[in-house]
Amino acid sequence: MILEAENVTKNFGGLVAVNKINLAVEEGMIHCIIGPNGAGKTTLFNILTGELPATSGQVFFKGKKITGLPPHQIARLRIGRSFQQAQLFRNLTVLENVRLAAQAHHRGHFNILRHFRYFAHPIEEAISVLGELHIMDLATQKAGELSHGQQRILEVAMALADNPVLLLLDEPTSGMSPNESVKMIGLLRKLGQRITLLIIEHNMNLVMSVSSVITVLHQGVIIASGAPDEIARDSQVRSAYLGRSTR
Amino acid sequence: MIDTALGKKKPLVDWEIIILAGSFLVLQFILPFKMLVTEIMIFALGAVAFNILLGFTGLLSFGQAALFGPGAYASGLLLIHFGWHPLITLLLSCLTGAFLAAIIGLMSIRKEGVYFVMLTMAFNGLVYFIIYQMKEITGGEDGLLNVPRPDLSLVPGIKLSIQSTFQFFWFVWIIFILSMIAIKRIIDSPLGHILVAVRENPTRTRTIGYNINHYKLLSFVMSGFFTGLAGGLYAMFLKMVPITVVEMWTSGDFIIIALVGGVGSLYGPVIGAVLVKILSEVLAELWARWLFILGLTFIVFVMFMRGGLWGMIMGIKDKMLFKKSNLEGQP
Repeated sequence: MILEAENVTKNFGGLVAVNKINLAVEEGMIHCIIGPNGAGKTTLFNILTGELPATSGQVFFKGKKITGLPPHQIARLRIGRSFQQAQLFRNLTVLENVRLAAQAHHRGHFNILRHFRYFAHPIEEAISVLGELHIMDLATQKAGELSHGQQRILEVAMALADNPVLLLLDEPTSGMSPNESVKMIGLLRKLGQRITLLIIEHNMNLVMSVSSVITVLHQGVIIASGAPDEIARDSQVRSAYLGRSTR
Repeated sequence: MIDTALGKKKPLVDWEIIILAGSFLVLQFILPFKMLVTEIMIFALGAVAFNILLGFTGLLSFGQAALFGPGAYASGLLLIHFGWHPLITLLLSCLTGAFLAAIIGLMSIRKEGVYFVMLTMAFNGLVYFIIYQMKEITGGEDGLLNVPRPDLSLVPGIKLSIQSTFQFFWFVWIIFILSMIAIKRIIDSPLGHILVAVRENPTRTRTIGYNINHYKLLSFVMSGFFTGLAGGLYAMFLKMVPITVVEMWTSGDFIIIALVGGVGSLYGPVIGAVLVKILSEVLAELWARWLFILGLTFIVFVMFMRGGLWGMIMGIKDKMLFKKSNLEGQP
């Protein structure tokens, strides 16, 4: 198991957003988390990446406890993440966005006497990520001027820049056109071959076609977990999504 | 492509710095007020140091006088009581500023927005009252009088006087230009770019693996270092240290200068200092209520010209270049 959550609970005042969740992400898998709005998916992500402290429970990465570590330390374990609402450096160019992400993992970024352009590794890495995601032509544009779909891809590019072993993506296709979604699905398939992916998604087309494991979250609780075809047949999942039958 | 996306590689001393250095020489020779240009450079340095916080890291500190003032007192006291070498007292002014910045920074960077601003203000008040109360050392309300300017001896046997207005101008000019080169290098360094990332999006900066509190603190310390230096120079410039150097007003001066000049660039605050100081000098002679006009100028800049003077100049430059390239493009 590359990532494990044990009895993770998060209360916001009286609201239990995430309730005693046990999640195990196996290395090399594309693991999707689905669930209706308000099921606690993003809250769970925020706990896994240190953005939010858990009320109780533990999180392990490769068997080591990472509960309570701040986000930057979790990032340094090579866990990348993207956000549902694009979190970009909007006034900086696409290449600089990715370069900053790549630079975080190199010694020497505390150096104040060297011009940053002579710090070559982060630049090379950023360029290779842009190449891999086929957005090299956007390199000189400001992140804030990109289309919504392009911003989603840049989010992934920044998460990829530090060469992660585990990538957490929060709704990578949200707000994308069908055409862009298809591209994103292809990209995720490709990434899944070398990186473990944990994805929150609403797009069923994506979920059913790329995942190896699906976990269904409903009102803060896991109601099902398994291979896509098992999930598709699960009656509890159907009722969570389609509403309970009245008969 | 890389040059367009990231900006060109730059040498330590480039045209921008040479133009800057030259402009201040020209100013010194054309302006009728011979002391003024030296004062402008001191305040420009303070405003540029403040802008490391506001413009580059996105931290609005209302407590710059708590770094500037003690910097001035450090040099003033050492010169009065021990008559040390001016460069050594200035270095100690830098360290005083950096040390206080580290303390104020440690206590305030965890807060955000208004709370951060209020904390820096509160620390300014605290430092003011400490200096005000320690009458035996700081002179309290009267400040320090008769700060000497000992001769500079760089190599044994040769002494350079910095007594006259003109000699002191050269002394400040050299330190100012060297400081600008250093600050420019910091801004262009890998670390400087992380500061901009913190300003642009703290959440994202954290999730790509930077400890943003470290960088905010470093930004504070660097700002304190150069603000302390400006303070030390100011003590030598006035040949005294008035208690006003540590008053909240002085913090406000740096903010006004930076905002009028433009916080988006390294040179904005320098232009701001030139405008604000010349305006104050000229207006003060014409009209006793000159602060009114200065205040009005400030409001106009904040409301209608967010990029400041520098933003305006760059806007005009871009328009002219655009026109030129359009004309060239025609058959």
